[in-house]
Amino acid sequence: MEKFEGLDFYDIESLLTEEEIMIRDMVRDYVDEEVIPHIEKACEDGVFLDKWRQDLGEMGVLGAPLKGYGCPGLSYVAYGLICQELERGDSGLRSFASVQGSLAMYPIWDFGSEEQKNHYLPKMASGEWVGCFGLTEPDYGSNPGGMVTKAEDMGDHYLLNGAKMWITNGTIADVAVVWAKLDGVIKGFIVEKGDEGFTAPEMKGKHSLKASVTSELVFQDCKIPKDRILPGVKGLRGPFSCLNNARYGISWGALGAAMACFHSAKTYTLSRIQFDHPIASYQLIQNKLAWMLREITKGQLLAYHLGKKKDDGTWFNEQISLAKMNNVDIALEIARMSRDMHGANGVLDEYPVMRHMANLESVKTYEGTHDIHNLILGRYITGIQAFTREA
Amino acid sequence: MTNIVVLVKQVPDTNAKIVFNGESVDLSAVKMVTSPYDEFAIETALQHKESSGGTVTALTVGGSGADKILKDAKAMGVDNIVRVWGDGFETLDSNSFQSVLSGVLSELGADVVYCGKSSADLGSGSTGPGVAEKLGWASVSNIVSASFGDGLTVTAPADGGNAVVNVSLPAIISCDKGDLKPRKPNVRGIMMAKKAQVDVREASAPASTVTLVSQTPPPAKPAGKTYEGGQSAAEVAKLLRDEANVL
Repeated sequence: MEKFEGLDFYDIESLLTEEEIMIRDMVRDYVDEEVIPHIEKACEDGVFLDKWRQDLGEMGVLGAPLKGYGCPGLSYVAYGLICQELERGDSGLRSFASVQGSLAMYPIWDFGSEEQKNHYLPKMASGEWVGCFGLTEPDYGSNPGGMVTKAEDMGDHYLLNGAKMWITNGTIADVAVVWAKLDGVIKGFIVEKGDEGFTAPEMKGKHSLKASVTSELVFQDCKIPKDRILPGVKGLRGPFSCLNNARYGISWGALGAAMACFHSAKTYTLSRIQFDHPIASYQLIQNKLAWMLREITKGQLLAYHLGKKKDDGTWFNEQISLAKMNNVDIALEIARMSRDMHGANGVLDEYPVMRHMANLESVKTYEGTHDIHNLILGRYITGIQAFTREA
Repeated sequence: MTNIVVLVKQVPDTNAKIVFNGESVDLSAVKMVTSPYDEFAIETALQHKESSGGTVTALTVGGSGADKILKDAKAMGVDNIVRVWGDGFETLDSNSFQSVLSGVLSELGADVVYCGKSSADLGSGSTGPGVAEKLGWASVSNIVSASFGDGLTVTAPADGGNAVVNVSLPAIISCDKGDLKPRKPNVRGIMMAKKAQVDVREASAPASTVTLVSQTPPPAKPAGKTYEGGQSAAEVAKLLRDEANVL
């Protein structure tokens, strides 16, 4: 397949800084050279290559928008472009970076003590330590406030009991940021690999995000030193602020997957001959390609403008919900459409489309399901919450 | 402290589709990149510095659009970036171009200069040996590896094998691909590149002694032949052997 040269119908590149373009191109080249040639095997084996962890750390893209403590302090637009290019390779790679940066490093950076920041963040930015984020539980997904994992103050330590599920990076993590109720109030705790009473078995059998580690986190009388509580936040604001950053990255990442599917569909349909002509010369195919281009372009403008608002600090939560929901939705539809346009070849690992399609089913579900984001917007529009039956 | 200079050139992306506008190539809409062999030269220069100390300066001849490849070199790890430009430089021939480089390399006080074995656009391969000739320096072309332990030793293809050459400085070395993998920039390098100032110098050049009359695209490839089914195997094998000469 011909080299991916970007998809920029509305010349968004002219809005980017020189630094943002260089960072995008760095990650783009990396994905072309070190991810795409190996991704199908990694999916087949069900592994996230440790080399990718090292490389992302060496490139300096982990915790990209955070400042200080070994983090680069890039713009949110640059962070978005990183996510876009990583997910053009595979959603699993972007998920690794999202969880490391937005879900594990960010809460330590924003809510941690100075000692915690100095201790954890430099090694997480370099990729030496992997982080994960424990919020979702087997019985509490869209309703995280109902969590049953609890922490007890035992005087000289906390005792953690409960279980988390669907935790990206869990089994390979050195550091877990875990949300649990302490006297009924949600607080963040830093759990380290090897802590007594802590295990992180990997979940198997996924048909999606196969090149990403997904785990349970199990706490059975897990002893946590007192200095591992995040002092700067309580309640759902803590995990939700992390999720906002991750959802923002997803809004760009999904576009990367969509671009990969568009690129494959365009290349394939131009070369596939049926009835003596390339199928790209037929109107039904052109209609699909035009729809893909239209939706990706709209999604790019949405993501870019949201990125500028993140950089300006003028964003609000519902804007992120709309961007995440929309861009994942169109990416998934583009992946399905692209799979269809590849005919039977679309199910083969010779083409990236079915892998992206399967991945995006997860991306649509995690970090707030599509429906939950609709409810967030519904509440914004009407002022009436519709998450629960209670008024 | 070794003063290492690497020559870099901005060329059209090797994946770009080249458009002809009348009798010349239209580069207005083409993405410009560092000539690929120059990336091996940058890598060799950086390895030289890491082994023996010194500084690495990336030098290019070009207009302000060429700042991008200097920033890319900075992001890879060079210390200084220098761009040279002057009146009439749009049409420099190889001889004039080498005169400009010779003058600037003398100004910079270079001890050793690395460059790509040829550029991806014109591909004449004359810059390294041409500049060495003007400066009276040693020159080795098309090297595939270099070591810096006890003086500069390079390996270059020769007569179907390889020649290992100890090089006295000052010298100009042109680099082939070899086993090198040019390092990739990282975010730290890119942030340093953003802040870096390009040292822009003016120069003059002797008048060109040749004039480019016109450029033409390569002839279009003939249409391919299609064979289907097992019954064609013998004929395909015959053509591969007799026409394509690949069997």
